[in-house]
Amino acid sequence: MTDSSNPGPLIHVHDLCKHFRSFRRREGLLGSIQNLFIREYRTVAAVDRVSFSIEQGESVGYIGPNGAGKSTTIKMLTGILVPSSGDIRINGYVPHRQRREYVKTIGVVFGQRTQLWWDIAVIESFKLLRRIYGVSQRDFDARMERFNEVLNIGDYLYTPVRKLSLGERMRCDLAAALLHNPPLLFLDEPTIGLDVVAKDRIRRFLHAVNRDFRTTILLTTHDLDDIEELCRRIMIIDHGRVLYDGPLDRLKEQLLRTKQVKFVLKDAAHAARVAGFDRDGLELERVDEMTFRIRFDRHRVATSDLIRQILSAVDVRDLLIEDEPIEEIIKRIYAGEASLELSAK
Amino acid sequence: MGALIDALAPYAEFSRVGFVNILAFRLRYFTGIVTYSLNVTIYYFIWTAVYHNGQSIAGYNMSQMITYTCVGWIIRSFYSNTIDQEMAYEVIDGKIAMDLIKPVSVPWMWISRAMGESAFRLGLLTLPAALVITLVFPMQAPASRQDFGLFLLSTLGSFFLMAAIGFLIGTCAIPLKSILALVRAKQWLIELLSGLLLPMSFFPKPVAVAMAWLPFEHIAYTPLQIYLGKLDRAGALRALGAEWIWVVALLVLAHLWWNRSLRRLSIQGG
Repeated sequence: MTDSSNPGPLIHVHDLCKHFRSFRRREGLLGSIQNLFIREYRTVAAVDRVSFSIEQGESVGYIGPNGAGKSTTIKMLTGILVPSSGDIRINGYVPHRQRREYVKTIGVVFGQRTQLWWDIAVIESFKLLRRIYGVSQRDFDARMERFNEVLNIGDYLYTPVRKLSLGERMRCDLAAALLHNPPLLFLDEPTIGLDVVAKDRIRRFLHAVNRDFRTTILLTTHDLDDIEELCRRIMIIDHGRVLYDGPLDRLKEQLLRTKQVKFVLKDAAHAARVAGFDRDGLELERVDEMTFRIRFDRHRVATSDLIRQILSAVDVRDLLIEDEPIEEIIKRIYAGEASLELSAK
Repeated sequence: MGALIDALAPYAEFSRVGFVNILAFRLRYFTGIVTYSLNVTIYYFIWTAVYHNGQSIAGYNMSQMITYTCVGWIIRSFYSNTIDQEMAYEVIDGKIAMDLIKPVSVPWMWISRAMGESAFRLGLLTLPAALVITLVFPMQAPASRQDFGLFLLSTLGSFFLMAAIGFLIGTCAIPLKSILALVRAKQWLIELLSGLLLPMSFFPKPVAVAMAWLPFEHIAYTPLQIYLGKLDRAGALRALGAEWIWVVALLVLAHLWWNRSLRRLSIQGG
């Protein structure tokens, strides 16, 4: 993937920490009065010794439960927050120290906010951004045309941002973040709150940007479909620490525990014979009159053996083998059940 | 020169957005007109009552005092800004993050935006108000043409003083989170200490002397004294010089305070 002239990773993060000091409120009337004079502070590590590197052209998913430290990391990477300790080097810049130079080389989308000016027409915001980033009129026109082709934003360029739907606004925000054609794009929950069609449109756009311009993408999300469609590599963070960093496929390979076989009988009379599969190591479930589902541990039961047994026991009209959904794997990691398996990698 | 224009272009654009933005709020514009007319009217009646025996007070006769009040409110409509309030909201809802991802100086971004708003108000509030007030109230003309020129320079300085102070207070939202009480207190204090409500010569001597060492009286008192010709040429230039030195000092202070506060920034929500 990388050629020999590559000077090293685009993003280099080493031992990054961010501590927040939070004020602990005491309860009750007496406590409130005490709060006025004596304050008790508690230090919370939102990001705790995080290290990773990202190469140019990669597309990385950064996931974790609420409050895991994803957004805080992104805000340090984008130069908004100053790290408590640790090093960040991105494209030769230290983000918070060289903020004004650095942010010219990145695009940022925060799904929960907009970088467009709320009360003025979208096009006014774009014109302002063109000036801020010093984009030539020709490049500006060419890019707007392209954005319009893929994102269809032409219809509401003259509408104030506050009157746009979430999906429309998000498309405009994406265009705004890419107006200066940055080599690096940070997305913090870019598909939050969007409907299926809008999500799909945004994913396809991001995919094209990553493919056509080799734009490096780092995105946080709670929607694992975003990850499956956009990222080959994922990082999982919880309690401020990285739990997993590697290919999505390897995570599946390592943590995929169960598989399931779903089948539909040809003949209802065979239903009684299926009961034989309700044995140790298999988990049988009847979905409806003709349909059954067997869940099993793929390390203990070979899929081929099980299929053979099913086919020889009953007449099957349709049969489907499914992996455990990625959501289930992630859920186990968040719940702490899978951490041991990971640390043994 | 070309590089300078390129560097300033975004800020000109911020001013333009400030200008366009204020157009989005027609109601605020109309209530502004009503508020200013009411204030001038109220102070007109107060001063006519105070001066009803015809003597001059602290060096001001009634006609000067009414001119002082009218011109004071007219220029206030130009130099004031809402930087501190807007920053307070941006810090509270975390929008400040979106300013930081742009390759611009955040202090100058806010000041440019306020400039656009002031330019808007100058055209659509200050000048019409000046016209109406001169027609309705017995106002004196400026002492001389030169004085009027210096008065305009001083009023421009007032804008920058208010912008720097607004930004300083607004930045306090980063460590303090909720500063709306502070914003309100500042507003009343500035009204009083700038000399808008009362000329500084009305204050007890020690207070007036102390105030001369602070930047606030340059906001209203300095331009108004120059307008009325209360200062000789040397005095006017000295006051104007002191005002612009304060402008530079407060702008530097605003930048330092901002850079320092950034280290303590935490973004709420999301």
